Amino acid sequence: MNKTLKKNDMKTAYVMLLPIVGLLTVFVVIPLIYAIFVSFYQWSFYQDSIFVGFSNYLLVLKDQAFYRAMWTGIKFALIVIPIQFVAAFLFAHLIKNLSAKVGGFVKTSIYIPHVISGVVASIVFMFIYNYNGGLANYIVGLFGSEPIPFLADVKYALGSISLPAIWLGFGFTTLIILAGINDIPDSYYEAAEIDGANTFHKMIFITLPLLKNVFLYIIVVGLTGAIQQFDLPYVMTNGGPLNSTMTPNLFIYTHFKNDPYMGYTISAALLLFVIIGVISALMFRLVNSKKVED
Amino acid sequence: MKKTKKTLLTIAGLLVALISIFPLFWMALAGFKPKTEVLGYPFKFFPTVWDFSNYNELLHSTEFIRSMGVTFVGAIIFTVLVIFVNSMAAYSFARLNFPYKNTLFIYVIMTMFIPSMAILIPSYIVVAKLKMLNTLTVLILPGVASAVNMFLMRQFYLGIPKELEEAAVIDGATKFGIYRHIFLPLSVPVFVLVGIGSFLGFWNSLIWPIMTISDERLYQIMQTLAYFRSAQATEWAMIMAGSTMAAIPTIILFAVFQKYLIEGIKLSGIK
Repeated sequence: MNKTLKKNDMKTAYVMLLPIVGLLTVFVVIPLIYAIFVSFYQWSFYQDSIFVGFSNYLLVLKDQAFYRAMWTGIKFALIVIPIQFVAAFLFAHLIKNLSAKVGGFVKTSIYIPHVISGVVASIVFMFIYNYNGGLANYIVGLFGSEPIPFLADVKYALGSISLPAIWLGFGFTTLIILAGINDIPDSYYEAAEIDGANTFHKMIFITLPLLKNVFLYIIVVGLTGAIQQFDLPYVMTNGGPLNSTMTPNLFIYTHFKNDPYMGYTISAALLLFVIIGVISALMFRLVNSKKVED
Repeated sequence: MKKTKKTLLTIAGLLVALISIFPLFWMALAGFKPKTEVLGYPFKFFPTVWDFSNYNELLHSTEFIRSMGVTFVGAIIFTVLVIFVNSMAAYSFARLNFPYKNTLFIYVIMTMFIPSMAILIPSYIVVAKLKMLNTLTVLILPGVASAVNMFLMRQFYLGIPKELEEAAVIDGATKFGIYRHIFLPLSVPVFVLVGIGSFLGFWNSLIWPIMTISDERLYQIMQTLAYFRSAQATEWAMIMAGSTMAAIPTIILFAVFQKYLIEGIKLSGIK
């Protein structure tokens, strides 16, 4: 009886699993294996490939431009994620204290940027940053300053493309944190209040330790996502000025477009994958080592 | 004292809410400005004359409307496929018993940890060899199987009480019948969440279309916008009108499903 049941299940299960397993094999697993294979070859669409051992990797590791791109990605992530996180953390506490009606409106409004594409965000902010009469320079002008070339000056470009990234992610991050805060029993906060805790104390001593895992998740996913940003620098600056906004993904894409030999590009992409993996692992270690006593 | 504090918080909250939507408002407004007013001096917040010509021109532009249409059709097909392919797998892993179940589960979940960038170029080589470049298929098929969405749905199915199926089993329903008649109707909340995420991902995508599509009849909307921006760098009013129109479907989608989406933050199991 049991055996026949299992056999019946087997047929149905394999038929129902065939699409997912087939698609993942063709579009994820084979490309990954292929990437590892190509990284050891001098490979192009037009010639026979030649085995070159680790020389693609050595080429990448000797390339200043690769490190520069990695560093740009890390800097970008370190601007965007901390600002976004702190703002979202504070604002989630603020929303909790609003009346249901106002809170509902605020939650809806801050969610909206989450559905907006990187391309649209890029275009809107390019318009706002415009040197000749953009809104940002109008405001700068009100303070009597000369117009600022937000996207054309090495000093400002990376910061300027960070702002739309913060804008896109701020609301959603806030709502995730708010969902976490709402799960904490009110009695915790009330008890703290009786003991004379102010809002700041409550955030540091109640919310932070209780939601440690949510925060860890948000920060790691945020950092790894931000390092891989593509749309904003592609549309707003195309990596310039002087490669100051050349994020790793844009760097890889630019190579893909200009370099007929895929070995270098693919090795760079695989190295990036390893580096991001190491960063995430380190983050988890770092936070877990600071165990909070329950 | 308490009341003042509450009022101040309300004002601060509303201010942040307005700042959040302001860039979109500013974009839509710029689309209504004549070319002479959209940038430059003197600075004008509102247009002196509301100019509908930018939006009007786009609505009559074959390229723009075709691009919106092609992207929309692609996004719908993509979304439907994502839901079916992944929910079938989710049901199998949640409810069926079969040999190599664990192995297959690990195989699928493992793909979650491969960043798309690491395989972007080899994926391109694979689809090029399969002669899929410049087809709607290349935009749709590679992203359909999704371990994250499968996992989300499996978690949801594990939470469905087994009693619901017992009557059907006694009536002699097949395992597929149980999926079809019991699980699918119960899946609406998780399907909405996954479906909207998939639609948005498809609609907003840039890098995959610019790599795989060079036939302009298949240009995706974000691709069209990005190219238009770099080709017509000074036509700001038109660019802003185009961006507004490209953002409208996503905002409508959000408006329709906002209850599910804001609730869905809890469902997505981040915690």
